Amino acid sequence: MRNMLLIARREFLEKIRGRAFRISTVVVPLAMLLLLGGSFYASRNLIEGRHIAVVTDDPALGEQVRTELLDDTNAKLDVNVVTPGNEYVRTALLSQIQSRSLDGFLWIDAQDGGAVTATYTSASSGAGGTAARLSDALNRALLRRRLAAAGIPQSKVDALLTKVTVTSLPENRGGRTGGVNGRAAFQKAMLETLLLTLPILLYGMDMARSIIEEKSSRIFEVLLATAQPRDLLAGKLLGVGAVGMTQIAIWVAAAALFSGSSLAASMMNGGLSIHFTLAEGILFPVYFVLGFLLYSSLFSGLAATCETAQELQMYTPLAVLPTWFSFGILPLVINDPGSTWSVIVSLFPATAPFVMLARVGIQMPPLWQIGVSLGLLMLSIWAVLWISSRLYRVGILMYGKRATLPELLRWLRYS
Amino acid sequence: MPVVELTGVNKAYEGKVAVRNLNLSIDAGQMFGLLGPNGAGKTSSIRMMMGITMPDSGRIDLFGKPFERTSLERVGYLPEERGLYKKMKVLDQLVFFGQLHGLDALEARKRATDWAKRMEIAGSLDKKTEELSKGMQQKIQFIGSVLHDPRLIVMDEPFSGLDPVNAALLEKTLLELKDCGSAILFSTHRMDQVEKLCDEICLINNGEAVLAGRVREIKSRYQRNRIIVEFEGNANFLQSAEIAEAKNYSGHAEIRLNEHGDAQKLLHEASSMATIYRFELVEPSLEEIFIRTVEGTAHA
Repeated sequence: MRNMLLIARREFLEKIRGRAFRISTVVVPLAMLLLLGGSFYASRNLIEGRHIAVVTDDPALGEQVRTELLDDTNAKLDVNVVTPGNEYVRTALLSQIQSRSLDGFLWIDAQDGGAVTATYTSASSGAGGTAARLSDALNRALLRRRLAAAGIPQSKVDALLTKVTVTSLPENRGGRTGGVNGRAAFQKAMLETLLLTLPILLYGMDMARSIIEEKSSRIFEVLLATAQPRDLLAGKLLGVGAVGMTQIAIWVAAAALFSGSSLAASMMNGGLSIHFTLAEGILFPVYFVLGFLLYSSLFSGLAATCETAQELQMYTPLAVLPTWFSFGILPLVINDPGSTWSVIVSLFPATAPFVMLARVGIQMPPLWQIGVSLGLLMLSIWAVLWISSRLYRVGILMYGKRATLPELLRWLRYS
Repeated sequence: MPVVELTGVNKAYEGKVAVRNLNLSIDAGQMFGLLGPNGAGKTSSIRMMMGITMPDSGRIDLFGKPFERTSLERVGYLPEERGLYKKMKVLDQLVFFGQLHGLDALEARKRATDWAKRMEIAGSLDKKTEELSKGMQQKIQFIGSVLHDPRLIVMDEPFSGLDPVNAALLEKTLLELKDCGSAILFSTHRMDQVEKLCDEICLINNGEAVLAGRVREIKSRYQRNRIIVEFEGNANFLQSAEIAEAKNYSGHAEIRLNEHGDAQKLLHEASSMATIYRFELVEPSLEEIFIRTVEGTAHA
């Protein structure tokens, strides 16, 4: 036990003092922040500040569309109404687009029978978001005009067309603690999954690399003269796991500080407000520790059978596939957290640490499912540790060549 | 009471015998050489003594008791392949090794500093291991193995990577440790050092002990059929029928006589052809005994 703690302490201190820890502690959250901020900024700028012309033979309709567009305070558009529309106007507008003095123009054709067709011409083929807003504004303007034509007073028309924002409230909250919109739920699930997968995989692979380094530097020979293989493996798992927990704690503390910043306030106003429940707070470290133990013990055993880091890369898909799969199925889990697929993936040990927490954040699953997922994870960790400790015990003293499958099976039989 | 004693020890890996019925015993204050060609079973034997692997059969006693891991706190081990944490500072590394052997951090730090002065590396304690030369790393590894004042020191090729000055410093230190009562087992291919330092040797080949005993006694078992000649002039006497093998190094020749070769007759032939400055009949070197024994050509 003493030696195990000494080894854990050394692993912890050496990694905490290392440059890699400092870099990953700063760079990973910065990258995530840039990613979130970037997508937030990009989504705001999809239409914000654009200069658009509305071309129609009906000046009143053009003005109504303009008013609707200017009502969108998030968009902050610069809208001109051009009437009437003809080929000369079209050519002039196209040349303005080419000279970048205009972002695009909405061309509205009103037929005699009341049918209306509209096209949006712009320099960019990826102006889907703008076209959707223009379509919304045109439809609202036409609806306003039709209602007025039907004799409905303007005040009633305004009342009928009052905008409503749909807020999703998870059933288990009973609407008591505030709402979570779909975008925020998605962001939260992604954030939690990222926060779990990154350290679990980073430190799992880091542990594997350090085993190969220690094997090639022959330090094991020295350590084994004082400590038993199980102490070495347990000490490394404990030390590296503690480093991962420390890093997550730093990230969480930084996130708490960031949540009070003006950028965060701006993002939260934009519908990105993320709230964590007590259950998530409790289960996050539990799933991190169990996920880390599962993947790290697996990689420790495999690393002990390798001679070089290049050989270890052969096993990388074992870590990457469950992660990809977890991220791939996340939209399905977010849309329908109680579906059979969501349940299966959140119980399966290799994906449970990444998916179950996302489920907990969206819709609290039955407690028995959390219990089964934790039980299966612990059972898998025990099985993987049993195999890995045998591979580790023999593998760390085997030099010269990578072990073949029959050799690995023989190593498992050594008592 | 022997410090370490192996009795009828056997070890095989996947059907291949690594050690067969090995018996050896080392007393306190004794320097013991474990010799053998590559793959003979030396490292396997040492690993069993250190509890890194377990024998298939036989018995290993440490300090008069059957092997138990707690006894390893009184054993120092310097493996053949040096193992140090490259990114770790030298002092931190030594303290860590000391703690693994049961010392508290403060005591380990004090001893590491003292030993660093003794081994003339005090200026490197704050450096990372990777910044040091191979010889310096070798000294750090040595300090790590003796920091806890072990009663048994096991060293696999302790002189590799050391220049003559540092090799002499290590020799001196080993002799001091021996004088303080530590038993020292070392495995090496450097026969000159074995001859100079060891009281007893055990030569193993194909996992079996083929030659064991006190160095002096072993050497006395062999005929004095080696001659060293220093001469000037015609070297044709090296073709004499009395000679089985001769190496001529421009005026310095090392000769092995035939089984029935006559040294006096050879001296007569040599002096008739060249001026002889030295003609010395010497006992075979340990290296020669080693080679002859391993090749199965030893003449008892």
